[in-house]
Amino acid sequence: MKRTRIAVLSSIFALAACSVSTFAADTKSSDAPPPKIKVGDTAPDFKLLDQNFKTVSLSDFKGKKNVALAFYVFAFTGG
Amino acid sequence: MQNFQANLKRLEAADTQVLGISIDSPPSNGAWAKQINVDFPLLSDMDHKVLTAYGLNKEYDIKGAKILAARRMNYLIDKDGKVVEMQVDNDAVDPSKVVDVCERKKLKE
Repeated sequence: MKRTRIAVLSSIFALAACSVSTFAADTKSSDAPPPKIKVGDTAPDFKLLDQNFKTVSLSDFKGKKNVALAFYVFAFTGG
Repeated sequence: MQNFQANLKRLEAADTQVLGISIDSPPSNGAWAKQINVDFPLLSDMDHKVLTAYGLNKEYDIKGAKILAARRMNYLIDKDGKVVEMQVDNDAVDPSKVVDVCERKKLKE
Protein backbone atom coordinates (compact mmCIF):
# COMPACT_ATOMS: atom_id res chain seq x y z
CA MET A 1 0.00 0.00 0.00
CA LYS A 2 2.70 2.41 1.07
CA ARG A 3 4.79 1.51 -1.94
CA THR A 4 1.82 2.25 -4.25
CA ARG A 5 1.40 5.63 -2.64
CA ILE A 6 5.06 6.47 -3.17
CA ALA A 7 4.80 5.39 -6.79
CA VAL A 8 1.74 7.59 -7.30
CA LEU A 9 3.43 10.53 -5.61
CA SER A 10 6.58 10.22 -7.65
CA SER A 11 4.63 10.08 -10.88
CA ILE A 12 2.79 13.25 -9.84
CA PHE A 13 6.14 14.93 -9.22
CA ALA A 14 7.40 13.72 -12.59
CA LEU A 15 4.32 15.20 -14.30
CA ALA A 16 4.74 18.47 -12.43
CA ALA A 17 8.37 18.67 -13.51
CA CYS A 18 7.32 18.12 -17.12
CA SER A 19 4.75 20.87 -17.05
CA VAL A 20 7.23 23.27 -15.44
CA SER A 21 9.70 22.67 -18.26
CA THR A 22 6.98 23.20 -20.91
CA PHE A 23 6.04 26.43 -19.20
CA ALA A 24 9.67 27.53 -19.23
CA ALA A 25 9.85 26.86 -22.97
CA ASP A 26 6.72 28.95 -23.56
CA THR A 27 7.96 31.94 -21.64
CA LYS A 28 11.53 31.75 -22.91
CA SER A 29 10.75 34.74 -25.11
CA SER A 30 10.86 36.95 -21.99
CA ASP A 31 14.63 37.05 -22.44
CA ALA A 32 14.22 37.82 -26.15
CA PRO A 33 15.57 41.22 -27.23
CA PRO A 34 13.23 44.21 -26.90
CA PRO A 35 11.26 44.84 -30.11
CA LYS A 36 12.93 47.01 -32.74
CA ILE A 37 9.78 49.05 -33.45
CA LYS A 38 8.29 50.64 -30.34
CA VAL A 39 5.44 52.96 -29.38
CA GLY A 40 6.05 56.38 -30.95
CA ASP A 41 8.03 54.98 -33.91
CA THR A 42 6.86 55.22 -37.50
CA ALA A 43 5.79 51.75 -38.64
CA PRO A 44 7.87 50.61 -41.66
CA ASP A 45 5.74 50.44 -44.82
CA PHE A 46 5.25 47.14 -46.66
CA LYS A 47 3.50 45.71 -49.69
CA LEU A 48 2.34 42.08 -49.43
CA LEU A 49 -0.17 39.63 -50.94
CA ASP A 50 -3.23 38.61 -48.96
CA GLN A 51 -5.01 35.22 -49.10
CA ASN A 52 -6.82 36.32 -52.30
CA PHE A 53 -3.54 37.37 -53.99
CA LYS A 54 -4.51 41.03 -53.59
CA THR A 55 -1.69 43.49 -52.86
CA VAL A 56 -2.07 45.30 -49.54
CA SER A 57 0.20 48.11 -48.34
CA LEU A 58 0.35 49.76 -44.95
CA SER A 59 0.37 53.12 -46.76
CA ASP A 60 -3.07 52.29 -48.30
CA PHE A 61 -4.57 53.26 -44.94
CA LYS A 62 -2.53 56.37 -44.18
CA GLY A 63 -4.79 59.31 -43.31
CA LYS A 64 -7.84 57.00 -43.53
CA LYS A 65 -7.76 54.26 -40.91
CA ASN A 66 -5.80 52.98 -37.95
CA VAL A 67 -4.22 49.59 -38.59
CA ALA A 68 -4.10 46.71 -36.11
CA LEU A 69 -1.15 44.69 -37.40
CA ALA A 70 -1.07 41.20 -35.92
CA PHE A 71 2.04 39.09 -36.48
CA TYR A 72 1.27 35.39 -35.98
CA VAL A 73 3.60 32.42 -35.93
CA PHE A 74 1.91 29.94 -38.30
CA ALA A 75 -1.46 29.49 -39.97
CA PHE A 76 -3.50 26.65 -38.44
CA THR A 77 -2.37 27.49 -34.91
CA GLY A 78 -4.19 29.32 -32.12
CA GLY A 79 -4.14 33.07 -31.51
CA MET B 1 -6.53 35.64 -35.46
CA GLN B 2 -9.79 34.20 -34.15
CA ASN B 3 -9.62 36.76 -31.33
CA PHE B 4 -9.34 39.62 -33.80
CA GLN B 5 -12.24 38.27 -35.85
CA ALA B 6 -14.33 38.13 -32.65
CA ASN B 7 -13.60 41.84 -32.08
CA LEU B 8 -13.80 42.88 -35.74
CA LYS B 9 -17.05 44.84 -35.49
CA ARG B 10 -15.70 46.93 -32.60
CA LEU B 11 -12.41 47.55 -34.38
CA GLU B 12 -14.14 48.56 -37.61
CA ALA B 13 -16.47 50.86 -35.71
CA ALA B 14 -13.34 52.52 -34.30
CA ASP B 15 -11.93 53.14 -37.82
CA THR B 16 -9.43 50.32 -37.57
CA GLN B 17 -8.36 47.90 -40.29
CA VAL B 18 -7.08 44.53 -39.06
CA LEU B 19 -4.18 42.91 -40.97
CA GLY B 20 -2.69 39.57 -40.00
CA ILE B 21 0.83 38.75 -41.16
CA SER B 22 2.99 35.61 -41.17
CA ILE B 23 5.41 33.64 -43.35
CA ASP B 24 2.63 31.39 -44.69
CA SER B 25 1.80 31.34 -48.41
CA PRO B 26 -1.40 32.97 -49.74
CA PRO B 27 -3.07 29.55 -50.39
CA SER B 28 -2.19 28.38 -46.89
CA ASN B 29 -3.57 31.62 -45.39
CA GLY B 30 -6.64 31.27 -47.61
CA ALA B 31 -7.39 27.75 -46.39
CA TRP B 32 -6.91 28.81 -42.78
CA ALA B 33 -9.06 31.96 -43.18
CA LYS B 34 -11.86 29.78 -44.54
CA GLN B 35 -11.52 27.28 -41.71
CA ILE B 36 -11.69 29.88 -38.93
CA ASN B 37 -14.02 32.33 -40.74
CA VAL B 38 -11.57 35.23 -40.87
CA ASP B 39 -12.52 37.86 -43.44
CA PHE B 40 -9.76 40.43 -42.97
CA PRO B 41 -6.51 40.21 -44.99
CA LEU B 42 -3.91 37.64 -43.90
CA LEU B 43 -0.67 38.81 -45.47
CA SER B 44 2.11 36.61 -46.73
CA ASP B 45 5.69 37.58 -45.82
CA MET B 46 7.32 34.47 -47.26
CA ASP B 47 10.72 36.09 -47.82
CA HIS B 48 10.76 37.58 -44.26
CA LYS B 49 11.22 41.11 -45.64
CA VAL B 50 8.67 42.67 -43.30
CA LEU B 51 9.66 40.48 -40.33
CA THR B 52 13.21 41.70 -40.81
CA ALA B 53 12.16 45.37 -41.10
CA TYR B 54 10.23 45.01 -37.82
CA GLY B 55 12.91 42.86 -36.15
CA LEU B 56 10.45 40.03 -35.50
CA ASN B 57 12.21 36.92 -36.82
CA LYS B 58 12.24 34.23 -34.16
CA GLU B 59 13.64 30.70 -34.26
CA TYR B 60 11.23 27.93 -33.31
CA ASP B 61 12.12 24.32 -32.61
CA ILE B 62 9.48 22.16 -34.31
CA LYS B 63 10.24 18.53 -33.41
CA GLY B 64 13.96 19.16 -33.73
CA ALA B 65 13.80 21.28 -36.88
CA LYS B 66 14.79 24.92 -36.51
CA ILE B 67 12.30 27.14 -38.29
CA LEU B 68 12.44 30.92 -38.53
CA ALA B 69 8.98 32.52 -38.24
CA ALA B 70 7.29 35.59 -36.80
CA ARG B 71 7.50 36.50 -33.16
CA ARG B 72 3.95 37.03 -31.91
CA MET B 73 3.19 40.76 -31.85
CA ASN B 74 0.29 43.18 -32.19
CA TYR B 75 0.86 46.77 -33.25
CA LEU B 76 -1.77 49.47 -33.35
CA ILE B 77 -0.73 52.03 -35.95
CA ASP B 78 -2.57 55.36 -36.13
CA LYS B 79 -3.64 57.25 -39.25
CA ASP B 80 -0.29 59.09 -39.34
CA GLY B 81 1.58 55.77 -39.48
CA LYS B 82 2.86 55.94 -35.88
CA VAL B 83 2.78 53.03 -33.43
CA VAL B 84 0.43 53.91 -30.55
CA GLU B 85 0.13 50.53 -28.80
CA MET B 86 1.93 47.20 -28.84
CA GLN B 87 1.54 43.75 -27.32
CA VAL B 88 4.34 41.22 -27.53
CA ASP B 89 4.67 37.42 -27.23
CA ASN B 90 2.01 35.75 -25.06
CA ASP B 91 0.36 39.11 -24.30
CA ALA B 92 -0.44 39.40 -28.01
CA VAL B 93 -2.88 36.46 -27.99
CA ASP B 94 -5.67 38.57 -26.48
CA PRO B 95 -6.10 41.78 -28.52
CA SER B 96 -8.48 43.49 -26.07
CA LYS B 97 -5.91 46.15 -25.15
CA VAL B 98 -5.61 47.12 -28.82
CA VAL B 99 -9.43 47.20 -29.09
CA ASP B 100 -9.68 49.45 -25.99
CA VAL B 101 -7.07 51.87 -27.28
CA CYS B 102 -8.74 52.36 -30.67
CA GLU B 103 -12.12 52.84 -29.07
CA ARG B 104 -10.68 55.49 -26.73
CA LYS B 105 -8.89 57.14 -29.66
CA LYS B 106 -12.17 57.24 -31.55
CA LEU B 107 -13.87 59.03 -28.62
CA LYS B 108 -11.13 61.64 -28.56
CA GLU B 109 -11.40 62.46 -32.27
